[in-house]
Amino acid sequence: MRKFLVIVRREYLARVRTKAFLIMTLLLPLFIVGMAVAPALLTRKLGGATRLAVVDETGKLYAPFAAALAETRDEDEEDGSGAPAAQLPARGMPDANDEGQMRKLGEAMGQRFEIEPVQARGRAPDQIRNDLDARVRGKQLDAYVVLPADLLSAGGKAEYRARNLSDVITTSQVRGALRRAVVEERMREANIDPLRVRELSREIQMDALPPGGAGKDAGGSFQLAVGVGLFTYMIILLYGQMLLSSVVEEKTTRISEVLFSSVKPFQLMAGKLVGVSLAGLTQLAIWLAALLALTTFGVAALAARGVSSTMPHVPAVFFVFAVLYFFVGFFMYGTLYVLVGSMVTSEREGGQMAMPVIFLSVVSIYLAFPVIRSPNSPLAFWVSVAPFFSPVTMLVRVVTETPPLWQIALSLAVGVATITFLTWVAARIYRVGMLMYGKAASIPEVLRWLRRA
Amino acid sequence: MVETKTPTLRLEGVSKSFGDFAAVSDLSLTVRPGTIYGLLGPNGAGKSTTIRMIVNIIAPDAGRVELYGQRMSERLMDRIGYLPEERGLYKKMRVGEQLRFFAELKGLDARTADERAARWLERLKLSEWKLKKTEELSKGMQQKVQFVATVMHEPDLLILDEIFSGLDPVNADLMMEVLLELKSAGHTIILSTHQMEQAERLCDDICLINKSRKVLEGGLREVKSSFGRRAVALRADSADGVLDDRALVASVKPFGDYSEVLLAEGADAQELLRRLVGRGASVTRFESVEPSLHDIFIQKVSEG
Repeated sequence: MRKFLVIVRREYLARVRTKAFLIMTLLLPLFIVGMAVAPALLTRKLGGATRLAVVDETGKLYAPFAAALAETRDEDEEDGSGAPAAQLPARGMPDANDEGQMRKLGEAMGQRFEIEPVQARGRAPDQIRNDLDARVRGKQLDAYVVLPADLLSAGGKAEYRARNLSDVITTSQVRGALRRAVVEERMREANIDPLRVRELSREIQMDALPPGGAGKDAGGSFQLAVGVGLFTYMIILLYGQMLLSSVVEEKTTRISEVLFSSVKPFQLMAGKLVGVSLAGLTQLAIWLAALLALTTFGVAALAARGVSSTMPHVPAVFFVFAVLYFFVGFFMYGTLYVLVGSMVTSEREGGQMAMPVIFLSVVSIYLAFPVIRSPNSPLAFWVSVAPFFSPVTMLVRVVTETPPLWQIALSLAVGVATITFLTWVAARIYRVGMLMYGKAASIPEVLRWLRRA
Repeated sequence: MVETKTPTLRLEGVSKSFGDFAAVSDLSLTVRPGTIYGLLGPNGAGKSTTIRMIVNIIAPDAGRVELYGQRMSERLMDRIGYLPEERGLYKKMRVGEQLRFFAELKGLDARTADERAARWLERLKLSEWKLKKTEELSKGMQQKVQFVATVMHEPDLLILDEIFSGLDPVNADLMMEVLLELKSAGHTIILSTHQMEQAERLCDDICLINKSRKVLEGGLREVKSSFGRRAVALRADSADGVLDDRALVASVKPFGDYSEVLLAEGADAQELLRRLVGRGASVTRFESVEPSLHDIFIQKVSEG
């Protein structure tokens, strides 16, 4: 037992005292937050407003079009805090969904327009176009729109000419504004009051709430569930790989031979598993503490400043299960990694042999998504009880809709039984494999070791 | 008197095979306490497998391994110090921490471990490396560190597999000195090697294994004197006719300014000298030498 503890301590310190541990602890949460924020930041329109010239051959559309474009701008300045009834956009209109989404995206990205009317001043239409083309090429202008005289009646086709046609967001915003301007103009011609239509097609409000009195929107719980699944998966993968390379190191440097002359192979294997798992738990504990601090103090601090956040409510029992399932997951995959490590002769070979193990853990992440959608389906039940998938999927269920206790108990029991069996297998293979040099063991060979042991 | 004491180690009819390959066949040997025992043999003879069975890493298929008259057990493992042929140290660990870890695995407490580590590092001129990571050390230094890890818990039986490989002559001499000190302090040492020169200088008893079988065992003196043929170190001019006589001379091996003449079975050194003088050869050196362990090794191995 003393020797076992000596090994546990060495393994623990060998992981925790590295710079990699510190960097990982700080960086992974930053990375995950970054992944969520980066796309929005990266697609934000840089530089000034989009300079747009409008050739209005209808003589009616320039003003409403300019207003429609400006409306985008106004909303943007109000920072998307819900659409006031006074300037209802075309969201309620048929087929406006995609366009509405693009427009919202544009708003988030700080889109601005600077528009100017183009007067004919006696020039021929072709002449006007040539002049505008020259200005666009000369970068005095970003784009121009030609609105033909028959655009309001049927058949007319507007033209958008721009230097950068890959900027689909700008293109779609222009199209959206033009569409709203044309539709409202057509309404006016048909004696319908566009303001009245806007009022009537006002967007509705809906809160998404769990049952019961305490009313608080739990909109963030999807992200939380996915986050929990990902974290569990990452930490198992990360520490499993560490375990693998540490076993391979001891095998290739023959440290195992020295160690086996002092301790039993099983003591070494178990000490290694426990030591590395405690290092993983340390990291998990730091992350969970950060999450807990964020969900309690962070939200409270924001609320004190009058900012309501969409931080989801995390049930306290979640933290208990997170630790439990971390252990179950770690030992399930850890024994597999030890097994692989003792069969191979180099880290590279180990990486290849570990592919099926990684595949198994990736599958559990994919299974997490249907489980989030319907946490009480038979699929969700079976995968959250099945070994290898339960650590990720059951945690996701706990976050989304806590399953009955007997299901959790069953899944833990299956987990423990699997671990017991795998440890039994791994110990036998480890003992022989660690002393076999020269080539990786084949599966039939390994089965022979198992039978003989 | 010595013979009546319980032997430190006794192997009796030990065999081990891997699949169809017999690594060790029916090996018996006895190691007396307080001696240095040479386990000799060419590569692949079965030395390492034998050692692994002694240190209880693998179990023999048949036969008995006894340490102090008892069957090998986990408790007895702490009384053995084992240095395997391939050196194994954690690259990223500091030398001092590493030594403490290995000593604790042998049951020492941290404080004793640190004290002994300091003493041994001093003795092997490694003190200033104590806080360095192992990967920063040269191969020879790592080997000395590993040696310290093997002896720190003051085991009754030290098993050293190819201890001299990779050591420069200065360190090899230092190591020999240390081994003789350990022996006089009462430790029993098993040396596995194929470097006959060192074995010849250190060992009290030897055992030669070839192709999984024991071919020779006994005290170094007895082995040498019982070895049928003797050799003569000879420096002589115009001796060719005599040396060609196969009834007298088995083989001639030139060494720089002299030759080593291995006498034929039953031939007499005096007879050779008489014949040489009779032929009028001018003899400037004629010295009866014992066959070296090297010669015995070569001959025994090539016989097999």
